[in-house]
Formats: sequence, structure tokens, C-alpha cells
Amino acid sequence: MTPRRFLPCRSSCSGLPVTPRRGTGFFLAGLAVLALSGAAQGRQQAAPISMDIGDEPGRVATAEQIVEEGPFARQLVFFRSSEPAGTIVIHTSERFLYVVQGNNRALRYGIGVGREGFQWSGLVRVSRKAEWPDWTPPPEMIARQPYLPRFMAGGPGNPMGARALYLGSTVYRIHGTNQPETIGHAVSSGCFRLANGDVIDLFERIAVGAKVIIRHGASI
Amino acid sequence: MPIGFRAFALAGTLFAATLPAFSGTLDDVRKRGNLVCGVSMGLLGFSEQKPDGSWTGFDVDFCRALAAVIFDDPKKVTFQPLSALDRFDALKAGKIDILSRNSTWTLDREAGLGLLFAGVNFYDGQGFMIRRDNRAVSALELNRTRVCVQAGTTNAQGASEFFSTNSITAELKTFPDGPSTLRGFETGECDVMTADNSGLFAERLRLARSSEAVILPDIVSKEPLGPVVRNDDVRWYTLVRWVNFALINAEELGVTSANVNEAKRSAKPDVRRFVGMDGTDLGPKLGVTADWAARAVAAVGNYGEIYERNVGSKSRLGIPRGLNQLWTEGGILYAPPIR
Repeated sequence: MTPRRFLPCRSSCSGLPVTPRRGTGFFLAGLAVLALSGAAQGRQQAAPISMDIGDEPGRVATAEQIVEEGPFARQLVFFRSSEPAGTIVIHTSERFLYVVQGNNRALRYGIGVGREGFQWSGLVRVSRKAEWPDWTPPPEMIARQPYLPRFMAGGPGNPMGARALYLGSTVYRIHGTNQPETIGHAVSSGCFRLANGDVIDLFERIAVGAKVIIRHGASI
Repeated sequence: MPIGFRAFALAGTLFAATLPAFSGTLDDVRKRGNLVCGVSMGLLGFSEQKPDGSWTGFDVDFCRALAAVIFDDPKKVTFQPLSALDRFDALKAGKIDILSRNSTWTLDREAGLGLLFAGVNFYDGQGFMIRRDNRAVSALELNRTRVCVQAGTTNAQGASEFFSTNSITAELKTFPDGPSTLRGFETGECDVMTADNSGLFAERLRLARSSEAVILPDIVSKEPLGPVVRNDDVRWYTLVRWVNFALINAEELGVTSANVNEAKRSAKPDVRRFVGMDGTDLGPKLGVTADWAARAVAAVGNYGEIYERNVGSKSRLGIPRGLNQLWTEGGILYAPPIR
């Protein structure tokens, strides 16, 4: 894996009292045993996914972290596009999200792409934005990871992370994560996840109604 | 017989005699049993020799792809490290079959040296590195800055031309070599460092705090790099050229090292031709087998895989694709179709 460092972001943080933490995760007491067996089951079912990591509700890790270094750090890149500035282009096979800036450049963020993120491509618009979104895991996800809660209120331990951009009327969304080490990988579940500090940055740049183009690599 | 005609006939005979048409490098390589590939003497991401003697890198992988096309074995390559000074002479003298050594395609190198560039596989060019606190997002915002550049490179002149064209007042500070240029930037003697983009990404890794330096997306000069062959063997040139095109087309078609066998069962005509299931006469026209392109991809992956593994997001360098992205995805890579 490429070297990466996670640091607290310098601005636009929510100011929530968060202890940055790395490692295997923080499970709520009593859920731990269930979590371990559930994770094992998730691993079996998601064999083709490269970084198989179950959701870890309750893990408080990363509320204010950004990818600070390496290729998945937020950076301005050359990007030819005929789309207007402010358009989001998500390239799932590259694990990058681009915000078109015009003048042949884009702001690029590293993302993790979940199973759901590979299921749809095309043009949608941002239909809603939410801070610290609640999480209601869909039934398929509960089937894969039975230890998951049926509902979880938004907050630092929520796998949806610090911000969410909802895409059209679909179930797909761009969201944060409490697992920043998954950035740059395909992961078991979720759509398009950014480190929380990065999704906070993105959230402030994008208005409801912005175009979002989702592309996968060509398929044979 | 008019004199003019006789002269013409004579010239024709000479022409036929001196041109080793439809024989040459490919046959020599086959007889020898391996490809001799000129690479740089060590350049992070492009050609590096590991302690066990094996070679890795972007330039290395191109030769492995070519060897896979010819022998169905990417290991049948002898790598010949060459200095910038010796590289073209070694090629001219036949010491190597191909030069895959971050060399810029220019008129003088083709018409002057009698070489042919088989294409471009890396669009490099002059870029700018600034400190993160600088906040500039474009090279046009570098007014009133001090710029470190290595003396005796095209970059010094390139920077000065770029600044004067854009009415930017910047103070150029030249340093005798790479390390001192970087030190000038690191110690704050300069606000900006300029070099070719691939070099900037490599130099940034040497900084104590590399995340504090930002490389701007602007490329202000043309340094198209690609594999080079002699100009006396068009058949060999054509093969090398199409290996480059094949790697790019593979990415565009979605053919990867992981799915290349599965691709043989594809229903898509472009994919079927690529892997040699249809259009089986195409490979033989290049002097190789019908599955030539599939062999290359099976050995080293498609262009995107080669790029990301060696110099892109899966490497330490982490150079964004930029110009080197497919034409459909924001870059300028465009390969003619295989048909």
C-alpha cells in the first residue's frame, strides 16, 4: 500500500470533540462478539472485493481527518472536460472523485468505492445535502453483516461519516467514513466514501443541483 | 535508353539492395532468443534495478510487453543501462534493439540522428512546485516569486520564456545540480521549484515534509517521451509502434491483466479483435501471432495498470494521470484502432 498519513484538517472542521484513533476499531461494548462473527461472514460473501472490511458502527476514528499525503490526497490536477465548473466526475476504477474547475483542471479527491458504488453509472444531480447523516442500513447489507444496527443516528461513530451528498432519487450517495484507511480501495459496502475532513471540504464546494457523472472503466 | 531512365533503374536496384526489407531486427531478436532493451541507469518509477538484479519501471515494462508479444515471455529481455550521452549511439550501433529510456521525441533526433520514435507513452513537460501555504492554483499566479531551477537544463530557458510571455516578474535562481536546486527550495531560498513534471514528483519525495509541497497542474512545455528504434527497419518500427497503441487501446477497451483470458469470450467486436479471436490476420501482418496484444496485456497489464503501478497512484511517485489519461477521461492519450 502507498504511504499515507492522516492528520487533522486545518479548517472547516466541525469542532466536535473527537479523539483521532487508528487501529482495529472501536466497538461498542456488547456488540464486539457479534461484530467479529459478522465480519467473518461478510468476508466470505465479498470475495471479489479487494479490501474487505465490514462496517464498524460505533468506531470513533476520524471525524476531522483528511488524506494528507500520497496520491489519494486532495489535489488540483490537469483534467480536460467539457463539463461546467462545479460538476463532479466520479471514476470508480481509478478511485478518484473530480470536481471540475474549468481551464483544464479539476480538484481530485481519493475515494473508497463500495459494492453499491459499482452498480450504476451515468448522470445524476445532487438532490440533498446532510451533515452527520443518520444511517439506515438497507436489508441487503443487514443480510451480509447481521450485526449492524437497524438505525444509527448521525455522529462521529457513524459509518456515513461527517457529510453526505444524496444523488438524485437513487439510494446512492457520496459520504464520509469512520474508516479512512479504506480510501483508494474497493470496499464491501457503501457508495463513494471520502475521509471525513475531505467530505467536509467537498460539501462546502458543491450545491444542491450540481451534476454528478459516475463512470466505471470499460467492461469487456 | 534515356540516361534519366537508366539512372532511375540503377537507383532502384541499389535501393532494393541496401534496404533489408522484411527482415532485420525482429528476426535477429528471434534468433538471439531475447530482446535487448536500452534503459536509463536508474530513474525512480521508470527504470530501477533491484538488489537481485531484476528491473522494474514504466520504461522497463514497455520492453517486457514487446518481449511478451514476440516470445510470449516477458522475461526474455536483457536490459542495457545507458547514460543520456551514450543512448542514441548504442541504438545506432545496433547494441540494443530498442531504446526505452525517457527520451524526448524531437525533430533533430529523428531527422538528424536517423532514428524513429515509435510513439509517445508519457507526456512529460515542465511544471512548478510550490509550498502549500502559497495558495497559488495556477502557474500564472507566480508573479513576484523566486524560482529555483537547475542550470544548463531546458527548464531555465523554459521558465524564463513562460514568465515573459505571461508578464510575470519572477527571479530565477540557478543551481548547479538537482540536489542543490531542491535544497534551495527546501530552505526557503526560493518560493518555487521548476523542472520536468516527472522529476518534480521524484524530488518531492526527498523533502523532509513532502506533504508541505504542492505541484501545480500546469505543464508549460512539451517533453513527449517514447520508445525509439533505428530508421532502417520499418517493419520493426511498426511492431513497436503498435505494441504501444495496443497497451493504450487495452485500457480503453477495459482489457486488463486480470480479465484478458475472459476477454477471449467477449461478444464485443473491438475486444474480440484485440485478443485475436477475430481479425486473426492482423497479428501476422505485424510478423507476430494473432493473440499478440493479449500476450502483452497478460504480461504487464494495460497502459493504465503500467502507469499506476510504476509512477501513478499505486507507486511512491503518485503522479496524477493528467495528460497521460485516455482522451475519453480527461487526458490526451489516443491510439488508432486495431482493425
